[in-house]
Amino acid sequence: MLRRLLKDFQGDIIAVPGRLLALIFFIMLLLVPLVTNEPYILRTLIFANIFAIFAVSWDLLSGYTGQVNFGHALFFGVAAYTSALLNLKMGMPPWATIPIGALAAVVAGVVVCLPALRLRGPYLSLVTLAFPLILLGIIFTFTGFTGGEFGVSGLSRVSNSRVTDFYISFGVMLVSVMIMWKLTDAKSALVRTGIIFHAIREDEITARASGINTIRYKLLAFAVGGFFAGIAGAFHAHFMRIAGPSNLDLFLSFQAIIWTVFGGITSIYGPVVGVYIMYPLMEFLRVVPEIRMLIFAGIVVIILLFMPEGIAVFIRDKMEQTCPRCKLSNVWWRKTCRACGANLR
Amino acid sequence: MRKRLVFSLIACLLALTILVPGCAKEAAQPKEPATPTIKIGIIGPMKFVQGQHHWFGAELARDEINAAGGIIVKGTKYLVELIKTDSNEMLSPTDAAAAMERLITVDKADFVIGGFRTEGVFPMQDVAMDYKKIFLGAGSATKELCMKVKENYNRYKYWFRVTPFSNVNLVNNSLLTLGTAGAIMKQGLGIQGKIKVAILAEQATWADAMVAAYQAYVPQKLGMDVVGAWRPSATATDVTAELSAIQASGAHIILTIISGPVGIPFARQLGELQIPLASVGINVESQKDGFMSATNNYGNFETTLNTYAKGVAITSKTNAFFEAFVKKHGQTPTYNAGTYDAIYVLKAAIERAGSLDSDAVVVELEKTDMETTAGRLVFMGKDTDTPHDVTYGPGYVTGIATQWQNGEMKAVWPLNWNNVTYPGTVQWQIPDRVIKAYKK
Repeated sequence: MLRRLLKDFQGDIIAVPGRLLALIFFIMLLLVPLVTNEPYILRTLIFANIFAIFAVSWDLLSGYTGQVNFGHALFFGVAAYTSALLNLKMGMPPWATIPIGALAAVVAGVVVCLPALRLRGPYLSLVTLAFPLILLGIIFTFTGFTGGEFGVSGLSRVSNSRVTDFYISFGVMLVSVMIMWKLTDAKSALVRTGIIFHAIREDEITARASGINTIRYKLLAFAVGGFFAGIAGAFHAHFMRIAGPSNLDLFLSFQAIIWTVFGGITSIYGPVVGVYIMYPLMEFLRVVPEIRMLIFAGIVVIILLFMPEGIAVFIRDKMEQTCPRCKLSNVWWRKTCRACGANLR
Repeated sequence: MRKRLVFSLIACLLALTILVPGCAKEAAQPKEPATPTIKIGIIGPMKFVQGQHHWFGAELARDEINAAGGIIVKGTKYLVELIKTDSNEMLSPTDAAAAMERLITVDKADFVIGGFRTEGVFPMQDVAMDYKKIFLGAGSATKELCMKVKENYNRYKYWFRVTPFSNVNLVNNSLLTLGTAGAIMKQGLGIQGKIKVAILAEQATWADAMVAAYQAYVPQKLGMDVVGAWRPSATATDVTAELSAIQASGAHIILTIISGPVGIPFARQLGELQIPLASVGINVESQKDGFMSATNNYGNFETTLNTYAKGVAITSKTNAFFEAFVKKHGQTPTYNAGTYDAIYVLKAAIERAGSLDSDAVVVELEKTDMETTAGRLVFMGKDTDTPHDVTYGPGYVTGIATQWQNGEMKAVWPLNWNNVTYPGTVQWQIPDRVIKAYKK
């Protein structure tokens, strides 16, 4: 059994440079608190974990299913407010409010999906853009309950230790990303959703003609995307101890898109890479506050100009080559496939 | 070849992002000072006027204090060292909290001053309290920030607000200015019966509560009638429909609650259309130096609550500060430049405490009774609802109201209000267009 596991590990992880790199990165990340207890560094990594979940959830919904969502912050905000209000008004602890907040985001996802059943392309995107604005309107109408522009503050912390916060956020990120990866894996023998999401994005009519209930799968994509964006939003609210209108901001929705496109859309690991490069980079650039945004924009433009599929996909393509016969990934220096022996050059 | 060029470009850019900040830091860091320094972090939205004035005010105080011998702590001289931090709070409160943590843990600030957007100040306040760092607020007016001190004194006692006074008192000052204008109009124009007031408030949450308060208090406290409330967008470029409706309602005065750019078209169209109504209240645009040119010189007689005005000596320190600020930056200081006062307040408390220890300085800050540029600053006590807030009222901080008269910003309130008149204050004037209409 152990030998079999080791063999699988060697075949599926060690032999594939991209996955090996990801493994090394995550192990290094896990060891960060042992190297430094600097709260600012841990804070940066905690937010990177939270935003990685958020960006990957956008990739699942928009990259894989093709339902381009310009108002993804809606799910983030709904969960943040739900979890904040439950915590403050009903005294519920974060371990209860975070999942409930995420479930509220699922409901929001289903509501947003209703027009998605009738609209496509830019029309759908414009409608999704309106939803956070509608919720903002509601928040500003019931200021006594929602705190209006000041938000709901004074929430309980997830834990009283920054290191614990880091490990919790890391664990949640890892599990969330793994689930989303499995759900979107077109080669998965476990679930069919991946290939169906691809099919819906590529040609919805053909997918329907093949007997796929596309409505059900679009609903699923919105619900799952909403759920994980909600996990990120609720966690963010408890870590910041405040849920406010900025949780529904257009800026936040666009950040998810920028991180994803920068890392590599329709890849799941792309948004993770995008967030882990861009978010700490923005923090690092605080030393030059005047040109911080300029450098950020410059890097994004140059990367997208020369790596249009995203930095993570670009690097993966450089390190790996796919066997033309068995479609298995091989390290770039191999001349023949490690499984079927087919010529790779 | 092309690929090589692309890679070279990217490598250069990445190298630049690493090297430029390094060089900048190198350049920004002064040579090892001979005298020890007290590090004061100035945090605010530095790309906006609010943050810039935080910084300008603090710089002025630093230069003066260091030139005068620094801060003396138990016989040891310390110089003031400022650390400028952009909170980016206008766009992202997440960024603001991270900036605060960096300021405290990486830049090792001993004290922090600043903050503006309430949603950003709440998380910044929490971070500062986590590290037991004294955080002097110089931007957000919401009373909830000080209510936290009441709710959990041991945790939040490190928070003090130096400027502005609580938002509750903005309503109070608006009512007092309205009362003054109403009395002058009634007497000057011979208006019989009650003065009628139209409320013109931008569509914003902060204005909602004020509209409700005015609708209740204007009739109750001033004996005036409220004829209605009009709510244009904060960014509207045309308010003729609202102005026509207000004119038709028979109002005498428009009570404004405007912080957005709509303040410009409002004042311009009021003058252009010669609508025979006076306007008092809050119009942030009219606090700015370029207001007259922005309104094509139709902005005369616009009245707003304010903090500073040229030649108005709220205290003996105001004019010197105002002149120095204008000379250095060519702009009239906003209330965010109260970082100037905050540093002086901090200096006095540190010197009295004889220590940089936060708990010792908090005790001394609570005893503050100091003449600042905006008035006599005394922090509200622990037994009040909002401890560590600015004490408002006659003999303390009151704020002022200014009116544009012949193209110049003049202070018009307080004038003989509870024996308070600041030198340089003149009488509020009825707009010419109103006088003309009444003469007909």
